[in-house]
Amino acid sequence: MSEQALSRALSRRSQLARLKKQVSDLLFHAYGFWGYLFLYFPIIILVVFSFNDSRSTAQWAGFTTHWYADMLKDHQIILSLWNSLFVAIVSTTVSVIIGTLAALAMERYRFWGKLMMDAVLYLPIIIPDIAMAIMLLIFFDISGIGFEPWKVNFFGAHLAVPYSVIIGHVAFNISFVAVVVRARLAQMDQVLEEAAQDLYADPWRTFWRVTFPMLLPGILGGALLAFTLSMDDFVITFFTSGAGFNTLPVRVFGMIKKGVTPKINAVSTLMLLFSLMLVAISLILSRGGEKGDSSGNPMF
Amino acid sequence: MSETYAVELKNVVKQFGEVVAVNGISLRIRDGEFFSLLGPSGCGKTTTLRLIAGFEMPTSGSVRIYGEEQGYLPPYQRPVNTVFQNYALFPHMTVAQNVAFGLEMRKVPKDEIKRRVAEALALVRLTGKENRRPKQLSGGQKQRVALARALVNRPKVLLLDEPLGALDLKLRKAMQSELKALQEQVGITFIYVTHDQEEALVMSDRIAVMNEGNVLQVGTPEEIYEHPQSRFVADFIGKTNFISGKVAVISGDRVDFRLPDGTMVAATLPEGAQVSAGDMATLSIRPEKIFVTPEGEQPLVGDAEALSQVSGRLVKIFYVGVERRYIVALADDTEVEVRVQNLDRRSRRCQPGDRVTLHWRRAHARLLKE
Ligand SMILES: Nc1ncnc2c1ncn2[C@@H]1O[C@H](COP(=O)(O)OP(=O)(O)OP(=O)(O)O)[C@@H](O)[C@H]1O
Ligand SMILES: [Mg+2]
Repeated sequence: MSEQALSRALSRRSQLARLKKQVSDLLFHAYGFWGYLFLYFPIIILVVFSFNDSRSTAQWAGFTTHWYADMLKDHQIILSLWNSLFVAIVSTTVSVIIGTLAALAMERYRFWGKLMMDAVLYLPIIIPDIAMAIMLLIFFDISGIGFEPWKVNFFGAHLAVPYSVIIGHVAFNISFVAVVVRARLAQMDQVLEEAAQDLYADPWRTFWRVTFPMLLPGILGGALLAFTLSMDDFVITFFTSGAGFNTLPVRVFGMIKKGVTPKINAVSTLMLLFSLMLVAISLILSRGGEKGDSSGNPMF
Repeated sequence: MSETYAVELKNVVKQFGEVVAVNGISLRIRDGEFFSLLGPSGCGKTTTLRLIAGFEMPTSGSVRIYGEEQGYLPPYQRPVNTVFQNYALFPHMTVAQNVAFGLEMRKVPKDEIKRRVAEALALVRLTGKENRRPKQLSGGQKQRVALARALVNRPKVLLLDEPLGALDLKLRKAMQSELKALQEQVGITFIYVTHDQEEALVMSDRIAVMNEGNVLQVGTPEEIYEHPQSRFVADFIGKTNFISGKVAVISGDRVDFRLPDGTMVAATLPEGAQVSAGDMATLSIRPEKIFVTPEGEQPLVGDAEALSQVSGRLVKIFYVGVERRYIVALADDTEVEVRVQNLDRRSRRCQPGDRVTLHWRRAHARLLKE
């Protein structure tokens, strides 16, 4: 009798617990849904209205691709795109080399002033872009470097890219590359380098045969990050370019001042697509790294 | 003409800042020997090995390999190879590439590399696994790749740092005999680091027992087990009973020893031990060297009258298959463990709570100074 009552009470209690869990799950999922909606709704609007057949960016008036055609015919936009790519490629290459060496120095060697360098290396990541931009501007001014352009023929496009912009991009990219490569290096067991030396590899060959291949996913991850940051950068480019030089984000900013049109939406959509592509590549790369050993790319 | 040793350490000291990891070690390891460094965690085994390999430079002292002073030679110029504790296989290379690495670095011709890699993999029974990645191998297989990667270079000395430490017990036993057979086959000097005393006893030609950066005793497994020269060695290798008391009379290597309750027993003095009559001291006796009988009876052995006898009370019996373990409390409550094979009838009549007599031969009771 009393046993039955007890078991009934117990089952009622477990039903109650189940109900509670269902409700909380529901709330949790709803919360997630609203969160995502909040994040992605503006992006969806942006993309949708880049196909809007009207100058208005608020009212839907049918589908068109002519804003994209318009964009491709705009020489200013195309030139700024080439500028962006050139700055990104050059600054990424330089900062990957310097950043990787800095990471190696920090992880593998002891030297005087290491603590100091540690702090300085991370500085560009933490200080506001605007502060960095003003610092650079003052630096170029008083050092006499100025905004001297690098005249170059880049796949047929005749560019004039100020050295100051490239130096500015290198200055912040080094930090990001160093952080990513260093994380990878910290995960890498140093005993592997000892094993290589035990097998008659001198330090030079130890680096190229063991350290570098194992570091490669980290270096590529750092490179992609640097490239993306460089393509996206507005503040530092704006301050260090002097007059008349536009990268894509700077160009878009200039266009907005004359009023927002769906053409800007089209440019933004293209930039979005490009960024997504880079993220996808980095994900694929880090998977590849994981296949080789357990430590994946730490950044992505 | 002095003998050339495979490895000779002379007064080697290694300090890491304040920590003295190796405290003046001298060792002579012979050509073709299977030599083990045995000791508890943190005693300096790995550091000693790394000093030989060249990963660490001695604070003072000298390291010679086949008579040649190594000085500050870096690891890649020393004629030794190492098998690392966690294998340290290159994860981005296949098994064959791992094994070929050392030969490539020494610029051995391509076709010879191919042949020797195949030979080495056959030696460790991994033929057919050439193109696997280390990740796709079991622990035992990784172990064998590490071994092949070192042996393929035909080093003069192979250094092994707890190579079986990460394997489960069964695989470990199998690898022990495999490794020992391999060493006999290739005839290379092995220096083997372990903290497992049984492993060291089974595999080694000679063992150096280490503690706190010092080598306490060097000898064959039998010498180390049967004739420990210090309390630490006796305790670390196998199970030992310690019985304390006072030295009464010394004559040659014979010691008459008085237990706290007045019982006189006979013991053996180890070579070179500095003890004199009246000193407090400790006897060490292995549990399997003691006979236990009901009180007043004699064990069934030839020289029963010559045995020392001590009485006590049987506290507990543990049955462990091949043997029984008797825990006997002496007059001063010192507990003594006795191990008896499940053949002996006389001891089997003893029950917990009974008065019993323990018997041992003089040769088996060794005196250790406190
Ligand atoms: N690079 C180092 N820096 C500072 N101290 C160290 C270093 N390497 C070893 N030691 C210290 O030296 C002592 C001996 O270390 P070692 O690694 O040789 O011990 P071990 O006998 O191999 O121990 P285990 O069985 O745990 O591997 C330890 O106290 C250790 O903390
Ligand atoms: Mg160790």
